[in-house]
Amino acid sequence: MKIIIVGAGQVGFHIASRLANEHKDVVVIDKNPQAINKLSDKIDVQGIIGDGNSPLVLEEAGIKGAESLLAVTDSDDVNLVACLTANMISPNTRKFARLRNPDFDNYHKALKESPPFIEAIINPEMEAVKSIVRLMNVPGAVESGEFVGGRVKFVGFRLDEDSVMDGVKLFDLKNILGNTRALVAAIVRDEELIIPQGKTPLQKGDLIYLITDKENLRPALTAFGKEHKPVKKAMIVGGGELGRRLAIELEEKNINTKIIEIDKQRCLYLADILNKAIVLNGDGSDQSLLLEENIGSMDMVISLTGDEETNILSSLLAKKMGAGSTITKILKFSYFGLMPAIGLEKVVNPRLSAIDSFLQHIRRGKVLSAISINGEQAEVMEAIALETSGIVDKPIHEIDFPKGALIIGIIHGDKIEIPTGSSIIYPNDRVIIFAERKAVSKIEKILSVKLEFF
Amino acid sequence: MRWGFVFEVCGVLIVFAGLAQIFPLLWSLYYNDGIAVSILYSMLFSVTMGAVLRFGLRRKTKRPVSAREGMAMVTLGWAAVSFFSALPFWFSSSIPSFSSAFFESVSGLTTTGSTILTDIEAMPKSLLFWRSFLQWVGGMGIVLFSIAILPFIGIGGMALFKAEVPTPLPDKLKPRLQETAKLLWWVYALISLLGVIALKLGGMTFFDSLCHALTTLPSGGFSTKNASIAHYDSAYIDFVLIFFMILAGLNFTLHFQFLRGRKITAFNDPEAKVFLITILILSLIVTFNLFGSVYDNVFDAFRYGSFQIVSIITTTGYATADYELWPGMSQVIIFFCFFVGSSAGSTAGGMKFIRIMICAKYCYKEIFKLIHPRAVSQIKIGGQSLDDGVVHSILGFMVLYIGIFVIAAILLASMGVDLLTTISASASAIGNIGPGFGYVGPTESYASIPDAGKWLLGICMLIGRLEIYTVIILFVPAFWRD
Repeated sequence: MKIIIVGAGQVGFHIASRLANEHKDVVVIDKNPQAINKLSDKIDVQGIIGDGNSPLVLEEAGIKGAESLLAVTDSDDVNLVACLTANMISPNTRKFARLRNPDFDNYHKALKESPPFIEAIINPEMEAVKSIVRLMNVPGAVESGEFVGGRVKFVGFRLDEDSVMDGVKLFDLKNILGNTRALVAAIVRDEELIIPQGKTPLQKGDLIYLITDKENLRPALTAFGKEHKPVKKAMIVGGGELGRRLAIELEEKNINTKIIEIDKQRCLYLADILNKAIVLNGDGSDQSLLLEENIGSMDMVISLTGDEETNILSSLLAKKMGAGSTITKILKFSYFGLMPAIGLEKVVNPRLSAIDSFLQHIRRGKVLSAISINGEQAEVMEAIALETSGIVDKPIHEIDFPKGALIIGIIHGDKIEIPTGSSIIYPNDRVIIFAERKAVSKIEKILSVKLEFF
Repeated sequence: MRWGFVFEVCGVLIVFAGLAQIFPLLWSLYYNDGIAVSILYSMLFSVTMGAVLRFGLRRKTKRPVSAREGMAMVTLGWAAVSFFSALPFWFSSSIPSFSSAFFESVSGLTTTGSTILTDIEAMPKSLLFWRSFLQWVGGMGIVLFSIAILPFIGIGGMALFKAEVPTPLPDKLKPRLQETAKLLWWVYALISLLGVIALKLGGMTFFDSLCHALTTLPSGGFSTKNASIAHYDSAYIDFVLIFFMILAGLNFTLHFQFLRGRKITAFNDPEAKVFLITILILSLIVTFNLFGSVYDNVFDAFRYGSFQIVSIITTTGYATADYELWPGMSQVIIFFCFFVGSSAGSTAGGMKFIRIMICAKYCYKEIFKLIHPRAVSQIKIGGQSLDDGVVHSILGFMVLYIGIFVIAAILLASMGVDLLTTISASASAIGNIGPGFGYVGPTESYASIPDAGKWLLGICMLIGRLEIYTVIILFVPAFWRD
């Protein structure tokens, strides 16, 4: 399976490296030779230097035989033209594009249904707003994802110092939770991902990944000592594209919103399009402004400026002044590991959100959605169990599942089941699978066809 | 500034003012009230004078009108037409004093509705029609002025409508000024016709229903009866008039859109919404206040209460009850309605709701700034941000409005008029309402005001009618320097 990626920026690089890890045939096109060199040094992909929207370059990359084309450069124009050109040369190639211009928001469907027939358009800011809103909805969550249209929730949270769950072994968890159905899918302890066994005890400071259904989420989190406090007041630092989208979203949710933006002209624009949110002109790391606007009383402070240092500083200040919680926008992937160390765990990265979105779209088989957790160490995916795949019609413990992967949810019709060893997956059930990075490609194969075919 | 050009336009307007006198002439011949000859003289005189101005000063320059010339034309034109329209009253000796005749004529053309007549029913019918007709023409003039002309001169925040108000045509208003004018005439005439029919069905004579419809649509308020609408003592007529007065108080572009099939546009328009809700709330307060104290049953309290409120707030000035006999609370509400006016782009006078809304929002913005010193906020109407220039222009308008009211009141008082009469008469004149309080209350007339006071109030009516800036600018020295 050949996948062509146009653009070797951060998004392109990460998608390429993940797909390469899954042993896919990846070609990356970028006009910047340094980017291509860096890429081919680090990962096993073919790099081509040239314009991704040029028909000749696309031909050279082998667009005719390619299964998918991902246009993920920083430029909307290049991405659109690349898709258009690809559609012209090789109409059967599936096309995906990154498109940031908000003017196109209402035209995504049109681009899908008429030439260039782009199968999925990913807007990083839109995806990031979705993940911020998910984080806001789940108390204490560091990461939050949804499956089956929101009916199944997957959340990651840090076990507090004084939590009653400290030291509890997993097989005792059932008794403590009572009727509340929830499953601990993974634990990150000292930056190491552990797939827990029944006898594994929970420890304070653990990052716990929990899967449960919508109704059981609140009670389950309460049991872990995470009380639900709805966000009523929020402050957004940085009124760029992401800040603008989030402010509109929060206005619709009737959350009292303040938005700080340093550029006067941009402030006027924001004041024009926002009706209820208070637009403030100033620097997000200016302590006197934050005090003046009573940052300590905010339930949530979201730092979204274009500068990570400002974001980190604003979030730290907000924490220090007593704000309920913070979400910090971080673009550099290398910073992710450091964030827990400085106490800022809720992180949003539009690029990562976009990468997740792209990956779930190009997955082989019937993968419906996928989210990466704890940076990129593992992935949780939702898939349809095909009749031809090796996982149906037998108890789970009989499935030859790769190491580091776990079925954590089965959705049979309306019923959501947190599986045990004897659960059986029926054809066309939806399954939710937790997989460490190295197991992802094997999982995909299992999902597609029976193993004995290989 | 091309004065020749300005006078030329005034000349044309005067010729039309003269030609329009054919209507009272015809009524006069029909009723044989004996003043046909006087009207004919007046007509011939007006047409001749107009023609002299038109052709005597003819210039060949055909450059487009500048904003300054436009304002001079509108002000001088309106004044000149008022002057010549007063002639039928004066020539026929029905109103012997020219000051009074001019007052009556200005009051008509500015759709104010103040009268110096103490016995209206004794007037020849032809002249009663002429009064009503003047208001009707004045009302249409003002709709055109405020919708089609003002936005392009850009005064008093009216520039707002360039972008704000949905224009009657999908494309921009300006290139199709004539087209727009024609369409608005049709809307105006159509609603007037409906008014005639509705009133006729209520038992008025054809002549009365015609005259009243002609004075309702321009929110004028001249009646053919001494007791105004109270004469008919009919709940049906009261409510029909309330309905049509409210129509007159709404922006005419909304009517236009309604006729084009866009349903309930009035409720989507931010200004119209506030206008309608205010009327409802004030009517209910007054009803509550009158029930028990003046009227024994709720229906009467509502009928008379809402009629006076609507009549004053739309600056019409009809009366079905003497509000001077009402409790203080109701009187104060009525008095404040003198200033409010209705929607911009309607035939009503006063400050207009949109300006008051914007002022209120501006005040809130200032207070808000004290709480959040670094907040950046925009004043919005219907989700649209307003330009600072527009807001400042509106604030200036409000200050001027109050300033002129104060000056007029002081001047009037210096002529020996009492406090209540002075204050209410000036407010009523600037707001183009009609009746006031004291000696100019709804059951009295302006006959008792001294001649100089009549001229003063006449000028106030013009100032108020032409959105203040248009007239005031003529009194600013810089206007005269090129």
